[in-house]
Amino acid sequence: MAGPPASSPAERPTSEAELESFRAEVREWCVQHVPRGWREAQTGVSEIEFVAFQKAWFEELRLAGFATPHWPEEWGGGMPVARQIVLFSELAAHDAPRLVLAFMGIHHAASTLLAAGTDEQRQRHLPAILEGEIWCQGFSEPEAGSDLASLRTWARREGHHYVVNGQKLWASWAARADWCLLLVRTDPNAPKRRGISYFLMDMRTPGVEVRPIKNANGESHFCEIFLTDVVIHESNRVGPENAGWRVAQETLGAERGMTMLELAERLDKAGFRWLVESCSTATPSGGRPLDDPLVRDRLAAFETELRGLRGMTRRLVERHEAGTAGAADASIVKLYYSELLQRMTDFGVDVAGLPDHTVLQKPMSSGWESGAWMLDFIGSWEWTIPGGTNEIQRTIIGERGLGLPREPVEGA
Amino acid sequence: MAEFSEAHDELRTVAREVLNGLSPLVTGGTAPLPADWDVMAASGWLGLEVPEAYDGAGATVAEVAVILHELGRAAVASPYLGSVVLGVGALNLLEPRPQVAEMLESVASGRECTAVVLPTGAECLAAPAAPFTLRRDGRGLVLNGAADFVPDATEADRLLIVAGDPDGGPVIVQVGTGQPGLQLSPQPVIDLTRRLALVRAVDVEIDAAAVFTFAHDPPGSCARLLDRGAVATACDSLGVAEAVLEATVAYVEVRHQFGRPVGSFQAVKHACADMLVQVTVGRELVEQAVVAVASGADDAWIAVSQAKSHVGQSAVEVAGKAMQLHGGIGYTWERGIHTFLKRATLNRSFFGSPSAHRRRLGARFT
Repeated sequence: MAGPPASSPAERPTSEAELESFRAEVREWCVQHVPRGWREAQTGVSEIEFVAFQKAWFEELRLAGFATPHWPEEWGGGMPVARQIVLFSELAAHDAPRLVLAFMGIHHAASTLLAAGTDEQRQRHLPAILEGEIWCQGFSEPEAGSDLASLRTWARREGHHYVVNGQKLWASWAARADWCLLLVRTDPNAPKRRGISYFLMDMRTPGVEVRPIKNANGESHFCEIFLTDVVIHESNRVGPENAGWRVAQETLGAERGMTMLELAERLDKAGFRWLVESCSTATPSGGRPLDDPLVRDRLAAFETELRGLRGMTRRLVERHEAGTAGAADASIVKLYYSELLQRMTDFGVDVAGLPDHTVLQKPMSSGWESGAWMLDFIGSWEWTIPGGTNEIQRTIIGERGLGLPREPVEGA
Repeated sequence: MAEFSEAHDELRTVAREVLNGLSPLVTGGTAPLPADWDVMAASGWLGLEVPEAYDGAGATVAEVAVILHELGRAAVASPYLGSVVLGVGALNLLEPRPQVAEMLESVASGRECTAVVLPTGAECLAAPAAPFTLRRDGRGLVLNGAADFVPDATEADRLLIVAGDPDGGPVIVQVGTGQPGLQLSPQPVIDLTRRLALVRAVDVEIDAAAVFTFAHDPPGSCARLLDRGAVATACDSLGVAEAVLEATVAYVEVRHQFGRPVGSFQAVKHACADMLVQVTVGRELVEQAVVAVASGADDAWIAVSQAKSHVGQSAVEVAGKAMQLHGGIGYTWERGIHTFLKRATLNRSFFGSPSAHRRRLGARFT
């Protein structure tokens, strides 16, 4: 694996001046490295070209120490939160491509391995992720969405191996993934949350078949994964047998803040900028949406909400580091981010009007707010539905954040 | 953003202990209880921003914000806004003179209450000209003008009136409440926890020694005073929203219908979740606004307008939802939720409505 990246010193910033000098460093790096004209070049490309572009961009970021700043220092990260905010904010402001393909690996897979993996699993995968190993997540199933714990994909034990059968759904970029985070029922007789194990599955294992699903936006990054007598060695189990639910719950919450840090900066520095730009574009009659006081009012409201979102997100990350995060803090941020994204993109379409409906493709590798508002708006349901629908988040916030009485849950 | 320090936590704990018993949620049914001014003085809350040389704590608006938040949480009637937030705030902006020091001392000790007369209503952000004018006639200086919805003026021993001087620049004119030509008319409002008044000056004779000039940038100083009023009101609204959310959560846990606590029903639970999200966002915005004002940055008004517009509105929504989720009992006088709803709704209009604040934010985009 690569040594500690030179540009992400682990010492904590002690002053604003230090942060500003880091900001200047990132700006300079962006000017040098963000590929010129990538948005146009990556619009309407094949998936193969997209994958190549993603991998090349990941490598650029990795060399600068910008790909996994949130990892522990010993694994090549260790960037203080204040610097990460500066980094993400400048990447967004310079319209850098997003790490779409590496996302699951650098976030979910890494945090699972760091929190619950064995040394051997970490040594095997963390350096590989830095080398470009792609991950997907096999959690949801056709009959297990919001009620994830009712999943049916199951495994029988044969010596030191598990033999897995079943079907997974909504695995993003599974067709391009090398490895998969997999939840499997290993004890059919236990209460449903106590009979699940967590596995790392090599996607090249015989019996793994992937079929892309066309989504509402006409894209096909979501996949179904069919598992037929797939053999997984026990060394690829994370945590004890039948403790998979707990492992998944603990790691999902812990990494939410880190992923949101980047997304919140992006929504602010890129999304809001595109929105103001759209509002400043002259209409055929010569006026601009911005001339309408109601439009300015909405922009001011969004800008305000973005400040709130960024504040909450930063606090979530800081509290995770200090071990003081509340049980619902991550859900509050996810709920707020996703609905703000939806409302901002909705407003974008509204302002941009019919011409925006003629934008039939958006740049691959762009963020959730690419400025192609209609596609962004439709795509925003990818935030309000997955990862626990917003209805589930509200229940979590009510029960874990406010301590309200639970509804009866079978097999809890 | 750094979390408030341990010192703030301590201040908050003490303030909550002192004030919580006054909350309409606790007292039920009675008229709003005023906070004991002597206790507030003895606790050092009146002189937080008064320099140590004048018997104050030499602290910042961040500490004052802790008290404001607690006053909102308990929906307490008190002239803290007029005398401390605006009074001390105005005095600290003035060219230092022995009289200024005396006034600071008397406010910090609680001996005297001060109110600042400045516009607080719909046009307060838009109209930079002071509604009072000071002009020279044969005998000397005379003051004329009127301002309505002035907080805490009827309880004040002296008024600090923001007025345009004969050269047009804003100054502060100190006027005794009994001075001939000065009319103070209470403006009763539905929110019984606020004391507002119409202040009118008709040819009030002013001694030259009662005219105080701002130390720097007179128009900017007036804008800062308004920002203090706005951020103080946002702190108050945040406290209001927190208090009713907590009361609602406690209530829906014990109130049973259909054999279950009503808080176990998803519709109720999700409404409470939305209230918590709003309060959490509001807390971030208020904290950032307080930090901005404390820093004295020229662009502090941006964070202030963001906090005031957002929390001003969300506190009304949270208090309204609190009344709804309490059901019939929430609509009774005795339960006290109405006090918070009324206070939040008044706060929304006080020192600039949400849309007025967004108007000034939105002007930056053109």
